[in-house]
Amino acid sequence: MAAAFAYYDDEAGGYFKDLAAAVAVPTESQHAAGLPHMRRYLDGLMAPTLTPLGYECRVYDNPVEGAGPVLLASRVEDPSLPTMLCYGHGDVVMGMEGRWQNGRDPWRLSFEGEKVYGRGTADNKGQHLLHIAALRTVLETRGKLGFNHKLCIEMGEENGSRGFREVIQAHRADFAADAFFSSDGPRTVRERPNITLGNRGGCQFDLIVDLRDGGHHSGNWGGLLANPGIILAHAIASITDAKGRILIDAWRPPLPDWVRELVKDAKRDSGANAPEIDEDWGEPGLAPMEKVVGWNSFEVLAFTTGTPERPVNAIPPKAQARCALRFVVGTKAEDILPSLRRHLDARGFQNVEIRTPPGANPIRFGASRTDPNHPFVKWVRGALDRAAGAPCDVLPNSGGSNVTEIIGTELGIPYIWLPLSYTGCSQHAPDEHILKPLMREGLGHLTSIYWDLGDEQDGYRK
Amino acid sequence: MSRSEAINQTLAYFDRTSGGYFDDLAKLCAIPTESQNPARLPEMRQYLAEVMVPRFEAMGYGCKVYENPVAGCGPVLLATRIEDPALPTILCYGHGDVVLGMEGRWDNGRDPWKLSFEGDKVYGRGVVDNKGQHLVHIAALKAIIAKRGKLGFNHKFLIEMGEENGSKGLKEIVEANTADFAADAFFASDGPRTEMSKPNITLGNRGCINFNLVVDLREGGHHSGNWGGLLANPGIILAHALSTIVDEHGKILVDGWRPEVPTHVREVLVGLDREAGPGAPVIDDAWGEPGFSRMEKVSAFNSFEVLAYTTGTPERPVNAIPPKARATCQLRYVHGTDEANLIANLRRHLDAKGFGNVRIDPPPASNDGRFFASRTDPRHPWAKWMKSAVERGSNHPCGVLPNSGGSNMTHIIQFILKAPIAWFPLSYAGCSQHAPNEHMLKPLMREGMRHVTGIYWDLGDPESAYRP
Repeated sequence: MAAAFAYYDDEAGGYFKDLAAAVAVPTESQHAAGLPHMRRYLDGLMAPTLTPLGYECRVYDNPVEGAGPVLLASRVEDPSLPTMLCYGHGDVVMGMEGRWQNGRDPWRLSFEGEKVYGRGTADNKGQHLLHIAALRTVLETRGKLGFNHKLCIEMGEENGSRGFREVIQAHRADFAADAFFSSDGPRTVRERPNITLGNRGGCQFDLIVDLRDGGHHSGNWGGLLANPGIILAHAIASITDAKGRILIDAWRPPLPDWVRELVKDAKRDSGANAPEIDEDWGEPGLAPMEKVVGWNSFEVLAFTTGTPERPVNAIPPKAQARCALRFVVGTKAEDILPSLRRHLDARGFQNVEIRTPPGANPIRFGASRTDPNHPFVKWVRGALDRAAGAPCDVLPNSGGSNVTEIIGTELGIPYIWLPLSYTGCSQHAPDEHILKPLMREGLGHLTSIYWDLGDEQDGYRK
Repeated sequence: MSRSEAINQTLAYFDRTSGGYFDDLAKLCAIPTESQNPARLPEMRQYLAEVMVPRFEAMGYGCKVYENPVAGCGPVLLATRIEDPALPTILCYGHGDVVLGMEGRWDNGRDPWKLSFEGDKVYGRGVVDNKGQHLVHIAALKAIIAKRGKLGFNHKFLIEMGEENGSKGLKEIVEANTADFAADAFFASDGPRTEMSKPNITLGNRGCINFNLVVDLREGGHHSGNWGGLLANPGIILAHALSTIVDEHGKILVDGWRPEVPTHVREVLVGLDREAGPGAPVIDDAWGEPGFSRMEKVSAFNSFEVLAYTTGTPERPVNAIPPKARATCQLRYVHGTDEANLIANLRRHLDAKGFGNVRIDPPPASNDGRFFASRTDPRHPWAKWMKSAVERGSNHPCGVLPNSGGSNMTHIIQFILKAPIAWFPLSYAGCSQHAPNEHMLKPLMREGMRHVTGIYWDLGDPESAYRP
């Protein structure tokens, strides 16, 4: 533990030096210009860091054109020991240069009091570097980890993890592990660590009412021609009620008692500038965290008909809405769109077309949730409680969407996230930052958990 | 001297390849009087001063140009020919302004400001809306004066230069000069026939009010994963609000927006249909007020439209709950609707349905035209006189439309000047009047010339004249 903190506290040569080098590579995955930096991050930073720790590194090209490669670093000490899989992503969202306060450069660390600013400090470079630091400490102290370890770094998480599933599918044996343990995102509440056992899935689709070519004069034709904007509004209004309650039966998931039990009293930090929660929105009778963690939510992300910037007196020919369903485990993902089709047809909306957005899968991410009674969950809970000196929180899944389901489905293993940041960290905005004391605490937890993992007495045994 | 001789003279003028109707029309269309383009204000004056005033003065009309009290809007011409104060006075109307030329978007490289002759069609901006139509009236009046030596009635011709921009200022000008504009009856041509193959008169228009519905919940978007289920989605709320205003088949559900349809209105609409010609959209007969005929939907009832709707960033949707949704909406409404309380009734409706969070805002300035409904009773003597005058010169019965579906300045004439209204449209619905490729059908306009000349002839003939 002391060794880990010495590394963290050595601002000139330790963690922050490594973090500065990682942040300096502008690995923006949301535009093509970021692509050359992806390999540089893996070959220039990750492999040289991991190889000396006895990891064997392999970079997999992404089968999706324009999407970044995936690194797998493996350290196998003894095939009879359990194998842990850790994940990080080296790509970041756009730098948003010029929009940061105090003239901060997103690609350089800015130290201001307890905060350290830079793109990727929290999401996710700073977090996977902490895992590497904890692993190195255990290795150097014990001479071995005491378990087998694989570290996977992908370079396209902020762009939908395109190709990630295909890479794993093509190399299942390489990625095989007994359990998944990683860090990304914020804690539920800043003061207390929590583990997160999965995520909501995300399904995007367009609803389109395309009636005819061109607009027609609303005076001459008003009353004679169906208005696609009105039809689409009605179709949307049939999907949820006016307070956001989902009306499609197949979209209403089971809500297990254990999930309710875990989250019914859970609080969550909303972060700086958080919006005020609309208490009467969403599924009636559910607590706020139950709505996010235990239930599905339908959104109209965008809707357009006519020419909103300069409306004219014409019946528009077409209306289109980009919609999304965030869904929890228990929702039949493959039936989301077919059940919507049946729902619309039953209400006379045959003229509302459901279409997959161009260049996307309707199910970008599946839903995932490890059983809280799984031995690995119990083990990590115990290890974290020991490290933190207090009971930690367990979140059945996050509200957002990520690669967890891919790991769970393709590798068939339990998964646990230990988020190290906090909700106010502006992770997808200008001024992304970490809190130094919080990350230090996280490093302590990681080191303790990895130490225990390799302990002959306390270690996790599958 | 006879009706048919006057008609033959105007038809000869229409058919002449040189020095006739189309030469005159070409001069009118060459002036790009786009009223939606503020840079065209000089062309508005030019149109009146160069091609209208000299024409009317040569026909013995006294001309007066009224400056528009609304800044940036074109002037109004009133040409007046009083033959005998004891005779009835007929008011005619035309608008010299046009919608935008939309240069480059016309097929076959047509220039909107030049006439293109292609078979039965003559293309050009304003050929039907409205330059070609008021030129027919001018030609007919000129022929009557030439043949008879007089009209046989008093006549006033109003030319405005801002119809396509909402007729801004016209009401104020007429109100301030009611004696100048006063008339016993209104007879003018604009727009399309309801059925291409049959003439009709139109006794008014629907009113029109545009407004925005806005749901503005908070600043900025919020991640739909972290917040989905906790934050109200304005796009969903606005969709629900709209769904309470009309049902999914366009039936209006707002109290106060559903007018009674008088029996005499239903009666005149029996047998009328919409025949828009080739290229017209397929009519959705399941849309609109259930049980109503097509023409009842357009001429006897109101229609609600979502003209535009936006939430989020439709050009590049992101995974965020949008903060705001906005729909620009429109109600076209007929005479008899409580037009003083249109918005108040909507407010009450939304509040009653729980949509207190849906704001009713003014429409965007670029689309804020407000028109009031008008309708002369089909049983009015002027309507009856016009119908029979048209029928004297036609093999078809003349349809009577209580009002058009569109909106214009008719209410100013009906309610300020208190004159009965009869529009006699000379175009057809497929004429692309507000789009590229505006055109007239030569045979249809020629038939219109024949009718209009006959009507003016009868108006001045003591045997058949209209006596208010």
